[in-house]
This record gives sequence, C-alpha cells and structure tokens, in this order.
Amino acid sequence: MKVHVDPERCQGHTLCAMIAPDVFQLDEIDGHSTVIIDGEVPADLEAKAAEAVRSCPEQAISIS
Amino acid sequence: MSTDADTDAERKKNQYHFDRHTPEYRENFQEITTEMLEKCPVAWSDTYGGHWVAAGHDEVFALARSSEYLSNDHDVNNVRKGYKGITIPTPESEFQGGFLEMDPPEQRHYRQVLNPYLSPAAVARWTPVVDELVRACLNECIETGRIDFVDDLANVVPAVLTLAMLGVPLKNWSLYCEAVHASVYTRHDSPEIAKVREDQMKMFQDMYGQMMEIKATPRPGMIDALVKAEINGKTPPDLELIGVLALVIGGGFDTTTALTAHSLEWLSENPVERERLSRERATLLDPATEEFLRFFTPAPGDGRTISADCEIAGTQFKEGERLWLSWAMSNRDPSVFPNPNEVDLARTGNRHHSFGLGIHRCIGSNVARMVFKRMLTDVLDRMPDFVCDPAGAVHYETIGVIQGMKHLPATFTPGPRIGDGLDETIARMQVICDEQRLAEPVTVRKTSAKITE
Repeated sequence: MKVHVDPERCQGHTLCAMIAPDVFQLDEIDGHSTVIIDGEVPADLEAKAAEAVRSCPEQAISIS
Repeated sequence: MSTDADTDAERKKNQYHFDRHTPEYRENFQEITTEMLEKCPVAWSDTYGGHWVAAGHDEVFALARSSEYLSNDHDVNNVRKGYKGITIPTPESEFQGGFLEMDPPEQRHYRQVLNPYLSPAAVARWTPVVDELVRACLNECIETGRIDFVDDLANVVPAVLTLAMLGVPLKNWSLYCEAVHASVYTRHDSPEIAKVREDQMKMFQDMYGQMMEIKATPRPGMIDALVKAEINGKTPPDLELIGVLALVIGGGFDTTTALTAHSLEWLSENPVERERLSRERATLLDPATEEFLRFFTPAPGDGRTISADCEIAGTQFKEGERLWLSWAMSNRDPSVFPNPNEVDLARTGNRHHSFGLGIHRCIGSNVARMVFKRMLTDVLDRMPDFVCDPAGAVHYETIGVIQGMKHLPATFTPGPRIGDGLDETIARMQVICDEQRLAEPVTVRKTSAKITE
C-alpha cells in the first residue's frame, strides 16, 4: 500500500496526522499534510493509514 | 417553448421553508434534518428573500469546495458586485467580517499572515499556559462543589488564550468575553440589546487602542503581524483590520465555549460513557473530540453567494443567488455517518464538516481542539462525578449563528485547590508571555512555553 496526499485538496484539517502520526506529518506553518513514508506503508500501519483516508474531510488522501 | 419562469421553477422544484433563526428549528432540528436529507439535500427556501440550502453531505462537500463558483465577499461599500457575505439574512449594521468575508487573493494573504500563529506546531507551544489557566478556573470552584461550566471555565480559557495570542493584555479578557457572547445570543428586539451594544463598543475601542499601541510600539502577537501586513500589495485600512480582529475573537471565543458546554452536558447525562472516556482517554480523547464536534457543530453553517452560473451536485445555480451551507445538517447524513443522531465516542471515518471545508477551513481549528481537550481532561480528573443541573442549564434560544449555551451549572464532590486562583494565574501568565515572547509566530519561536514561578 502507498499513500498520497493531494496538496491541492489538503486544507490542514490535521485528522490524518492525529490518526496516523507515523505516516503523515504536518507543515509547521500551515498544518498541511505530507506523507513521511517513502514507498510502501509498513503492514502494521496500513489500518491507520486507511482510517486516515476515510477521515479526511477534503478527501485529499488516496491509496494505490 | 420553455420560458425563464419554467426553467426557474424546474431549478427550484425542491422547495423547503427553512428558517434556522426560529426556536422551532432548534427544537425540531433532528426531524427537519432527517426530512431534508431524505427529500431535498439541496432545496430552495422562500425565507430571507429566497436562498438555497444545502444539507446533504455530498452536496455540501461539492459546493463548499467549488470556490471558483462561490463567493464569500461582503462588499459593504458596493464597489464590486454588492455580494452580502456569509450571514443570511444580511445584518442591519453591515460590517465586513474579516477574511471569512473575502475571496482570494486577499483572503489567502490574510491566512498566510496568521497561519504561523495558528498551525498545530504554533498552538502546541501554548499548552502549558492553557493548563495553568484551566487549573486556576477549577481552583475557583473546586472547594465549593459547584461550578457553572460556561461562566467559570468554558468562557474564560478561550478568551484569555485568544487575547494572549493576539498580543492584548490578558487581564482585559472580561471586557471582551461578555461582549462577544452576549452579542451572539441576544435577540435584536431584546431589552438587553442596548447594554450589549454598549459593551461591544467598549470592546472595539479597546481593540482599536491596542492596535494603535502595537503599531507605535511593536510587541509580539497576531495584531503585530496584521498591522505590518501587505495584503495584495497594499497596507489594509484600520477598519478592515478591526474586521479581521473581530473575526479572530468571535471565532476564538463562542465556538469552543459552545463545544465544551454541550460535551460536558452530554457526559453528565451519560456517566458510563464519561468513565470510559476518562479511562481510555489515550485512545478515545481524539475520536471523542471529533464526535462531539460532529454532533454539536458549534458553528452550524455559512452563507455564500453564487459568483457564476453553474451546475453543482445536480442543481443549477444562477449568479447572485444566495446559498446556506449547513455543516450541522450535513454532519447528520446517514450515508456517511451510521446512526448519525447518536454520539459514538469511538466513531471512525468521521469526516465531519464542523470546521468548514475548502479554502475557508476554520483557521482556529487547532486552537479549538487543544483548548477543548485540556479543559475536558482536567474536569474529568478533578470533578469526575459532576452532575449538570438541567433546571439551570440555559441553551441559546436559537441556533442560527452558534449552537451555544449561556449557563451550565453543575455540582460535584469538592476537592482541594492546586495552586493559585484565576487573577493571580492570569498575572503570572502575563509575565511569562512577555518574558518568553510566547506570542511570536512559530517561525520565530519554536519552543513551548515554560511555566516558572
């Protein structure tokens, strides 16, 4: 599983980093999210990453 | 041959008489919401000169994010298109409500100025100060076994913190606090409105005085950033900045108070859930906070003006038409939230709309969450058996602007004070703010406040 945050859609709601702090990090200045993990999400973080996708109010996160 | 009137009737075939400013709307919120979600997730209402109402989750989502077809502009001087901003109906005294009543690029420039004060990293630096303030508020009541959660806690902490972040002396909080809350819940035909206007005037005078002082002798805070800001290549006029300050203060005060009061009232009525939340807070506090936000939606919606003819979510809109985006109703859509009218503290997939959506997402959302969680946690620790008094609880009569409470008295088993009362703590926090320059943006000061004696 790979996750991607669309920077055009993200508005800094911060729920992804609240749910999966090992997968997403928030910009210090505007709180917008980026993915920390380069490549495949480790198996033990997949469920949290998927929950972050479901919880994003802007639907800015996708899985491939 | 179809006429314009036919087309108009076809466009507006889903009609619903929607008046969120009546007490009946508050009383029948759940029934009205269920009916609108089922029959007309986007409806035309004949109220307030006629306007659209979006209630469905998908519809609100699609509309709120279509900033190319929606305008927040409140063109008070009628120099652009005369749009009326985010309040329906338009208030008698027209005043531009800061960048929430602007479109890009000005709106974006203002947010860029304030983001470094309000980002998650910026807000986290204030947590030790908030903890001191919460503890002091509870100290004032802890030995008596009685508290009014609105007057003694939820009104106080957000107000003091907001002033600290702005760079206004903390001791001025009461001057601002009552003026803001009373202006939200006092009806315009009430005998009390004259006093409310007078208090508001005093608040605006103080605000203007602070701004002038900071212009002359800079000190850290959001006011400093605003008076130095270039917005779309220009220095904004003072009146525009007062509108921005009023937005930050209005947004920072009444909303978090409303969320806290409703959540504490619900936890008093559901003591088993309260114990569970306290016990499992490490995993439950975050989702429970989102669930309270969803269920109680302190700011129930926003108005917009359609800025170009368009078709969104199956409805054709015409330029100039007014639209109400109901965060509160979209938060109850069963297609996204199973059992939407129940509070589920562990709810997952909770993509609620309580902070709005798109480019106007509540800029203070990180402050709201942090302050709410600190207040709630300390109450659970120090007053774990609190019981709210339903006879003394006073809800706002209408929920058209804020779904708030005026009073929420409660009793609990008395406990010991831990440290100072409120006035001493506020004086101490002022020294800490000044010495550590806490109100600097996160770009200048990265570290958290340190509480010293």
